[in-house]
Amino acid sequence: MITDAMGLILADNRRIQLGALTEPRAIAAIPFAGRFRIIDFTLSNMVNSGIKRVGVVALTKYKSLMDHMGTGAPWDLDRMRQGLYMIPPYINPITREPDRTDAQSVIDYVKTGDQRYVVISGSAFVTNTSYKPLIKTHIESRADITILYHKDGPIDGPLAMALELDDDGYVRDLMVDYPRSTSQNYAVGLIVISRNLLLQLLAEMMARGIADFSILGILQNYKRFRVQAVKLEEPLLRIHSVASYFDASMKVLDTEIRHKLFDVDRPVYTKAKNRAPCIVAPGSGVVKNVLASDGCAIMGHVENSILFRGCVIGRGARVTNSVLFQDVQISEGVVLDHVIIDKNSVVKMDGRLLGHPGFPIVIEKNAIV
Amino acid sequence: MAKQEIIAMILAGGQGSRLGVLTELVAKPAVPFGSRYRIMDFPLSNCTNSGIEAVGVLTQYQPLELNSYIGNGHSWDLDRNNGGTYILPPYLSQVGNDWYKGTANAIYQNIPFIDSYDPKYVLILSGDHIYKMDYLKMVESHIQNEAEATIAVIEVPWEEASRFGIMNTDETGRVVEFEEKPAKPKNNLASMGIYCFSWKVLRESLILDEANPDSRNDFGANVIPGMIDAGYDVFTYSFDGYWKDVGTISSLWESNMDLLNDPTLINLRDTSWTIYSRNPQRPSHYFGPNSKVENTAITDGSEIFGECHGTIVSYNVVVEEGAVVTDSILMPGSYVESGAVLTRCIVGMDTRVERNVRATPDEKDGVDLFVNDKLCKDGITVFAPNLIIKEGTKIVGNSMIGAEHARSHPQYFEEVPHYSRMEVSL
Repeated sequence: MITDAMGLILADNRRIQLGALTEPRAIAAIPFAGRFRIIDFTLSNMVNSGIKRVGVVALTKYKSLMDHMGTGAPWDLDRMRQGLYMIPPYINPITREPDRTDAQSVIDYVKTGDQRYVVISGSAFVTNTSYKPLIKTHIESRADITILYHKDGPIDGPLAMALELDDDGYVRDLMVDYPRSTSQNYAVGLIVISRNLLLQLLAEMMARGIADFSILGILQNYKRFRVQAVKLEEPLLRIHSVASYFDASMKVLDTEIRHKLFDVDRPVYTKAKNRAPCIVAPGSGVVKNVLASDGCAIMGHVENSILFRGCVIGRGARVTNSVLFQDVQISEGVVLDHVIIDKNSVVKMDGRLLGHPGFPIVIEKNAIV
Repeated sequence: MAKQEIIAMILAGGQGSRLGVLTELVAKPAVPFGSRYRIMDFPLSNCTNSGIEAVGVLTQYQPLELNSYIGNGHSWDLDRNNGGTYILPPYLSQVGNDWYKGTANAIYQNIPFIDSYDPKYVLILSGDHIYKMDYLKMVESHIQNEAEATIAVIEVPWEEASRFGIMNTDETGRVVEFEEKPAKPKNNLASMGIYCFSWKVLRESLILDEANPDSRNDFGANVIPGMIDAGYDVFTYSFDGYWKDVGTISSLWESNMDLLNDPTLINLRDTSWTIYSRNPQRPSHYFGPNSKVENTAITDGSEIFGECHGTIVSYNVVVEEGAVVTDSILMPGSYVESGAVLTRCIVGMDTRVERNVRATPDEKDGVDLFVNDKLCKDGITVFAPNLIIKEGTKIVGNSMIGAEHARSHPQYFEEVPHYSRMEVSL
């Protein structure tokens, strides 16, 4: 069956910032699980669901995202018809300032597609699922908007969008950040809507001068429309803070969760890097419960950690409960515990960095410690 | 087509019969190598890194896997508007049809392809060598010598020289004599099977060679000696890097082990000369909570719960807890169950080694029915792709297990369909 839907991924979220990790990049471009970025998951879900036209809405700092997306070839989105569309904000031709809304560029993208439905995805979650059943339910039920939800809310609170559902699975109430919520239904951050209704809502937003195009913005209209909810059964990892990023990363070490996140039938695609195989050197320390990637050279002791491509762990170094991004170098004798180190950083001889599970230390990109 | 000054032709049609069961269903260049590569990645990446943009790949023997691996050449940046990779199988024509009779005949049959680029120089490369080489330097030396043919040579140990094609040169480096496997070699400069020709001269020589009914239509045996005899300017180009013909089980195993024992021999981490390959779309590799891994190379999509020592682990491999793998090569998609002990083994793609299987060089009570001393030496045992080695089977070293043994000895082995390999292992 041909999927009559286009995709729209919101790569930024004005409400979600992950400190040093989102300083150089959009949230969708944050590296995750050793060789991926957050956007790879929802984008691969779309492609694996038969979606052949995907727009990626970027707001700021989109260089990293653009580098990653390229022509869209890793996702088979380098097409003559359809394919990948990057949607950065327009600059106002008169004031030379960024336009106050993202909406015009989004309207242009949605208008030029000929699919009848749009799957809009945020970037604050990681899951591996097919969106096909969701789209199918949306079409068959004739709901105005269909929203994906999961039983688990965010671990540490912010941006929990709790849903109260009636017996037919329609949304009766929707509450954001309500502290006393006892809900078992939390929005994932992904909806299906018809192209025409989306264009109507976008036009209303523009007319009212609302500057922020977001899934929350659309759902605020829930009382005017028939909003239906469909449950996500696959594991969901929410990423909306440094602590939740760390927690989600550690969950990938769980073999059962990892196998579901990397379902063989629904591959997660990403940009190729062609690094040499990872080498665990003779006489290295213990390497256990570790997710490592091509190009790594492990001479030290690594436990309960994630190593992105090209990490070097020096002799006698001890890395536990940490996440090291691409090309991080850990010199001899260094001790790390509960640390997230961004790309290309170096921790020099005998450095010690000890964080806490709830408050991992974050070292910024290109740092020398 | 627009002109290309240099084009490369890679000979990838050979069977590689000395690799036995590993090349039963795939051409030698498609055999996995070094955890994340296929042998073919080396000449293809050398072309890309040398700036060569048009590459013909001559296939003949079991080409399906090789063709699908190369695809449109995208993985090596060889999907181009002008040039790129071309798979060139033998074809039918009005005047009859021919398989490629020899290396020279393969190029002869593709004269129209080469002509369409109107090149000045043609490189003839082999699809079964492991090396990093800047072909442009060889072409530069060819131009400087005003040569009509240039043959890449490498110094080999004197005692091994009689196994190679040996080049005897005068003081200017001009080749005066070519001896194929001489009993008493006069020097130790061996031909690497890598040639650079001026196309005009090669074109004429190929037509002459084809017209000679006594010729085997082989570069080493006929075309090059013919060019030397005819007085053409044939020069050598000395290469002093790592080069290995991985045509035998022992050399394939050794070359893989070189990556562990001395990673500087062929430095795969050198980003100025990246060896490209198809990238499997799999997660990073995982070391389990009780794994013991040292002196091991490993790549994406694999999971190690047991022990690996001195081992090359390819993509999508699983080693269960309680399994011990030593000095071995686990090819893509292979699976080693708990309690299995493998030493000096090469496990083919998608082969499953069940619980408590033992295959070590001096295995006590091991079955010795499958020893193949002709192909397997030094205690190395080879399991073909797509087999199940059944629970508890014990095998002595120097064994070679293929699909035929699954049919003759179903108590030990089983054959599995390999329909899924393209999707899962690529």
